Amino acid sequence: MLTVEGFKTAFGYWQMFLEGMICTVSLSAFTVLFGFILALVLALMRLADIRPFRFLDNTQGGESREGFAGSLSRFRPLNFIASVYVEVFRATPMMVQLFIVYYILLAGIKLPTFKLFGLIRFERFVPGVIALSLNSAAYLSEIIRSGIQSIDGGQTEAARSLGLSQAQNMRYIVLPQAIKNILPAIANEFVTIIKESSICWTIGVQEIMSAVNSVKSATFTIGEALIIAACVYFCLTFPTSKIIEHFERKMRRGDKR
Amino acid sequence: MATNDKLIQVQHLKKYYNKGALKALDDVSVDINKGDVMVVIGPSGSGKSTLLRSLNLLEIPTDGQILFHGIDITKKSFVNKQGKTEKVDINLHRQKMGMVFQHFNLFPHKTILDNMILAPMKVLGQSKEAATEKALSLLKRVGLEDRAHAYPIQLSGGQKQRIAIVRAMMMEPEVMLFDEPTSALDPEMVGEVLEVMKELARGGMTMVVVTHEMGFAREVGNRVLFMAYGKLVEQGTPAEIFGDPKSPRLQDFLKKVL
Repeated sequence: MLTVEGFKTAFGYWQMFLEGMICTVSLSAFTVLFGFILALVLALMRLADIRPFRFLDNTQGGESREGFAGSLSRFRPLNFIASVYVEVFRATPMMVQLFIVYYILLAGIKLPTFKLFGLIRFERFVPGVIALSLNSAAYLSEIIRSGIQSIDGGQTEAARSLGLSQAQNMRYIVLPQAIKNILPAIANEFVTIIKESSICWTIGVQEIMSAVNSVKSATFTIGEALIIAACVYFCLTFPTSKIIEHFERKMRRGDKR
Repeated sequence: MATNDKLIQVQHLKKYYNKGALKALDDVSVDINKGDVMVVIGPSGSGKSTLLRSLNLLEIPTDGQILFHGIDITKKSFVNKQGKTEKVDINLHRQKMGMVFQHFNLFPHKTILDNMILAPMKVLGQSKEAATEKALSLLKRVGLEDRAHAYPIQLSGGQKQRIAIVRAMMMEPEVMLFDEPTSALDPEMVGEVLEVMKELARGGMTMVVVTHEMGFAREVGNRVLFMAYGKLVEQGTPAEIFGDPKSPRLQDFLKKVL
């Protein structure tokens, strides 16, 4: 049962919730940054047309050779690696990935034990950011890839015919338009990251959910603490999507008459 | 106006699709001289656009050579005058070949001015001021100086295509390639685009124009190519092609379009 008394008790721990919120925001911000960079690399890998064994296809006229040599000539290693990555990370639970990063990947590495901003335990924070980034990159990369593919090929042709390199074409022509198209999906993913970061309390990151847990252990007040946590999450996610909506409107200038 | 200074030499160009079942270009050879206004006509699917798009390698030919200033741009490297092997930089060649597309392909997220100054700044390293000054003077020439800060969507088709032409002109190309520049336009806008093209031709620009505008071919072109089934069937002056067509295929085509 929720009681006013319970809320008063829970509010007594407001500092924990505040610190938890700062921690959640930091987790999400670093995840968004690293996740996005990794996602961009993955998306470009999936679209890269680099075929190291192309020379095996020595037939003329766009004919593709049959058999093993033919398949090998069409093999795109970058695309293959990125596809495997995306499939694996989308097909396994976030918590399993987090534990694998924390207990296996970083088990042998001694991370410096200091407190980020004076309150976040660095050695717990880093595995959390890594796991969340690896996971969100898989989803974000698919969003970015579809965004890039949604841009009319004529744009690239025009850019290249003006002498722009493929990299310049990506940077100035394709990506700005692609990002604009996928902003709603990206906003969604950012909100998801904020919410998913709650899982990090299982490895001892002191974010919002861990504040709930502390209140529970200390006072046996759980319902009220959860309601407060939910409100704090909402106060983080709602402005996030609104801010991105604002950017979206700004970027749509070229679409209006 | 045409000299015998060969700018582009197309030699035995072939482009096959579907394991050779479809021959978009079937052994086409043609020289494009400096100052030429070469108009390519023919029924749809005859390979006109493929030929044009091969010239700046938007289409990678299956076989054959394209020599631009004597350098085979279909190869990865060439031997320079000092006898050294150099890499063929396709970006460098594309700068010198302006291209205008049927669907304009303006960059919708950039203003008209930004559309025009992007490549000169990023590729040629021009300053923003110099590029802007040049862009404004070009806009003035096509009567669109008041639209510099508009976005492409705010323009009519004819205006878009005129912008696409001057955007290509910003790079000071040696040859302009036009891929059916008036085919996506409302009829009343065709004239304004053709007018800009005529002015370019009068200025001595080397042009290759794929078009269905027979009037333009006759009036402005100094050479006309007729293509069908991926082959170059007949070529000559406009007077020869329109006045005295030799092949039955061309006679049949002209009967339908004129």
